[in-house]
Amino acid sequence: MRKVLTTCIYCGCGCGLYLTEDKGLVTGAYPSVNHPVSKGSLCVKGWNCHEFVNRMDRLTHPLIKENGAFRKATWKEAIDLITKKFKAISSETGADSVAFLSSAKTSNEENYLMMKLARAVYKTNNVDHCARLCHASTVAGLAATFGSGAMTNSINEFEEADCYLITGSDTTAQHPLIGSRIINSVLERDAKLVVVDPRKIELEKYSTIYLQQKNGTDVAWINGMMRVIIEEGLEDKEYVEERTEGFCDLKKLVEEYTPRYVEKITTIPAEKLIEAARIYATTKKAMIVYSMGITQHTTGVDNVKSLANLAMLTGHVGRASTGVNPLRGQNNVQGACDLGALSNVYSGYQKVTDETAREKFEKAWEVEGLPGNIGLTVTEIISGLDGGKVRGLYIMGENPMISDPDSNHVRKCLENAEFLVVQDLFLTDTARFADVVLPGASFAEKDGTFTNTERRCERIRKTVDPPGEARADWEILCDVAKASGYRGMDYTDPAEIMEEIREVTPIYGGMRYDRLDSYGLQWPCPSLDHPGTPYLHKEKFAKGLGTFMPRPFIEPVESPDDEFNFILSTGRIYWHWHTRTLTGRTSTLEREAPKPFVEIHPEDAEKLGIKDEETVKVTSRRGNVSLAARITGKVAPGSCFIPFHYREAAANVLTINAVDPVAKIPEYKVCAVKVEKI
Amino acid sequence: MIIKKISKSDIGELLRQSVEKWETYVPVDTDQGDTLFTLLPKEGSELENALEKVNLKDEWTVISPKDIFFPQLETMFSFEKDNIKEEVESSKKLIFGLKPCDVKGILFADAFFKRNLDDKYYLSRAEDRVIVAIGCLQPPRPEACFCTSAKTGPFIEEGFDLQLVDAGDEYIVEVASDKGREFVDLYPELFKDAEGDVSRSARKIKSDAADAVKVEVDFEKALAIMKGDPDLKENYERISERCLYCGACVYACPTCTCFNVFDDNKQDKGIRKRNWDACIFEGYTREASQHNPRKEKSVRAARRYEHKLKYDYKVNDVSGCVACGRCLASCPVNIGISKFIEEITTNKRIM
Repeated sequence: MRKVLTTCIYCGCGCGLYLTEDKGLVTGAYPSVNHPVSKGSLCVKGWNCHEFVNRMDRLTHPLIKENGAFRKATWKEAIDLITKKFKAISSETGADSVAFLSSAKTSNEENYLMMKLARAVYKTNNVDHCARLCHASTVAGLAATFGSGAMTNSINEFEEADCYLITGSDTTAQHPLIGSRIINSVLERDAKLVVVDPRKIELEKYSTIYLQQKNGTDVAWINGMMRVIIEEGLEDKEYVEERTEGFCDLKKLVEEYTPRYVEKITTIPAEKLIEAARIYATTKKAMIVYSMGITQHTTGVDNVKSLANLAMLTGHVGRASTGVNPLRGQNNVQGACDLGALSNVYSGYQKVTDETAREKFEKAWEVEGLPGNIGLTVTEIISGLDGGKVRGLYIMGENPMISDPDSNHVRKCLENAEFLVVQDLFLTDTARFADVVLPGASFAEKDGTFTNTERRCERIRKTVDPPGEARADWEILCDVAKASGYRGMDYTDPAEIMEEIREVTPIYGGMRYDRLDSYGLQWPCPSLDHPGTPYLHKEKFAKGLGTFMPRPFIEPVESPDDEFNFILSTGRIYWHWHTRTLTGRTSTLEREAPKPFVEIHPEDAEKLGIKDEETVKVTSRRGNVSLAARITGKVAPGSCFIPFHYREAAANVLTINAVDPVAKIPEYKVCAVKVEKI
Repeated sequence: MIIKKISKSDIGELLRQSVEKWETYVPVDTDQGDTLFTLLPKEGSELENALEKVNLKDEWTVISPKDIFFPQLETMFSFEKDNIKEEVESSKKLIFGLKPCDVKGILFADAFFKRNLDDKYYLSRAEDRVIVAIGCLQPPRPEACFCTSAKTGPFIEEGFDLQLVDAGDEYIVEVASDKGREFVDLYPELFKDAEGDVSRSARKIKSDAADAVKVEVDFEKALAIMKGDPDLKENYERISERCLYCGACVYACPTCTCFNVFDDNKQDKGIRKRNWDACIFEGYTREASQHNPRKEKSVRAARRYEHKLKYDYKVNDVSGCVACGRCLASCPVNIGISKFIEEITTNKRIM
């Protein structure tokens, strides 16, 4: 029985936990006492994160599809076929005919290699991953206003804050060990809590004030708060003067957003908006916390910029226990972005359009002609399969069949894919469409690093061997590169990959493995003697002066009408993770939440004559699903909520693939549906 | 009771010799700075490295070492068509450096797994074992340990084979059982006869240790109150509303022994496994018909506190709580049984 410290596979909290190994199997998981996030605690997913690793239906050997059925293949056969196809497609119709989807569930090293494979070997910037679907708006919005697109502060700083403004984050469900810090602060230290959410999330119980806005009206209430703050002289004048630019434009734009006007747009009572603005503005240590409820809109970037404006206006950036804190969803979505698995940047957010950056990477990778055009994003790549703009797609550890908007469209695209490779732990709904399936190793079966939401780069450690012939993603990617004729992807272990990352990625410059050994380091960490950075923008913003970027309110793309008269929002629940590939194979978690449901308000249920747990049909312009009605006051009348975990009634059959014009993030949080009794 | 002593500098040698005979579990510091109950490697540099990091100070090891006998996830048997292969583990074990509250927990679990039906998976793992307890000079979880209130620590009177009392450069060794005597007799060069009035020294050490425990509650009163079936609905509702349902209070509890059984199968092959379960989960009592006698969160909270402080006390005259404070220490939202006890015995709202 061995116990190995590693990092949890689920959310962005990045809890440190020990896996127990016995006779080659992982038999337990429990928290590290001294890890700065877990401190002896975990959420239920963490305590149970070992179980899926041993499941018998893990993929154990490569599969090649022939005549519509999979057959076992050797690694050589599979990799030769992939390289043959990708090279042929690439030379026939150009480098941008192939694309690569990286994964926020895999390690930093693997994300770096995926983008290196796409860019250095296949000369395309068509590499992206699911951050596009969660925090692309954050990366764009905070980079524009602050100069850095990451969570500004640290998880432990929640323990000292005196006010939280939580919006679009069901924190106790999605980031339980951050949610717990908020609950404890409210109950034990009388910290103030402002919750702004269309859905009465668990934290609403603890809120000092709760504002229930209509879905998709965030820019309006944030502008309204800023107007109240300016009108009442509550802004931090010195801070605005010394550290920011563009205040006059902001003042001018928000003038229109009087509390009464905002009430009309958002349904938030004017006096509540005023009170909430006062609480946030007058508390010195106040943190803004947000997540998908802000980002997953066609105005996602506008929403993020508006929150950044609000924080700058009140001087709430650049000190401990303040800041704008986007909580990153996946365990390594921060890292996947940091390491350049995005269509527009190399690792460390160095732009592919910047010639100096390209030259730097050409030199480091010993290649010529790195492409300077911005590549396709997740939804563009998937759509590109239909019609042949993208002819070859390599997906590592993602399940777009369930996770991407408008599933019927996704299905059609995957069906029409000319050549599809899927590398995963299980035969997912997406993998069923693949021409080649490659078995990957789980987090318990390989070394590497994850970077959590507070920018903490920390180790994962191999505890057991992968099953059968399954191999670590980094090993597979190196073999594909090698078979494709590239000699620059040959490493003995992930530590060696990190050495290369350090050289080309300034924010990771000091992340040598021996320095990460205990509980990791927070970027920016530019050199080997740098202690890491708990909070950003101290004394000055990453870009110098912070820039106010005032945005006007714009309606969501699809609003309810006479036929589709409900607003649908999608999200996650506490017990499951994303497409349920892992949590659906974890007995305790699956038992707690075995079936899909739609939350509807009691008034609506009465009108429609629907009983609790009765099966109903929910239809949008794109498709329909049947699932149990859960009657609850959590949602507002006229609204409903469906968790997107369940393939049995996939919420994304209903969602719209309209995207933010800048970040290309889909509007998962608002579409119009009708609800019917069956 | 026989009293021996052993020099602290001889502990490494004792463990080096013991691994030859026993699977030896002892608290060891990890490279990263936590202390965990760890199975010592059998030999070589791995053993030597581990021995250097053995830590018998008063450290918080997160979960009680109940997982040595009752793993978080275990295989009961595997099957392929009609063939069934059962997996029963039965090595000889030395559990060295167990805290008194954890010893109490293991004794409690032993009794549970023997009640009504012998649980062979647990009993075979636990059957052949030597328990070397070590008392706490300082509470490992200073904000949570309340053993003096329940008289379960910081030293124990029975249920162990040996108990070590930290007396500076050496341990006073209390030998409480035949197994303990056989153990010290095996290593006469390491276990020396105690000279002088060691009992008195031990008494003083134990009394200072008891004074170091800061959390105090009226445990006896709580048991008496719980026996009387009080109406604590308000407490249970408050607790169950605050709870995040992580399961830590149950998983970390030395006396929690509930498990769920499930099959992992593929075509005609499969493995029947069991894993730790928790009564606070909705699915714990959900029946096949979907009816659930404990659907309400507060009823589930009641179940937990009643199990710890009422049922076993009523039936077996033993408390189901050993006052280790692990539930509070691992709870992300600071709920703990000591706080519950304080609430019901003082009528004050603590949580």
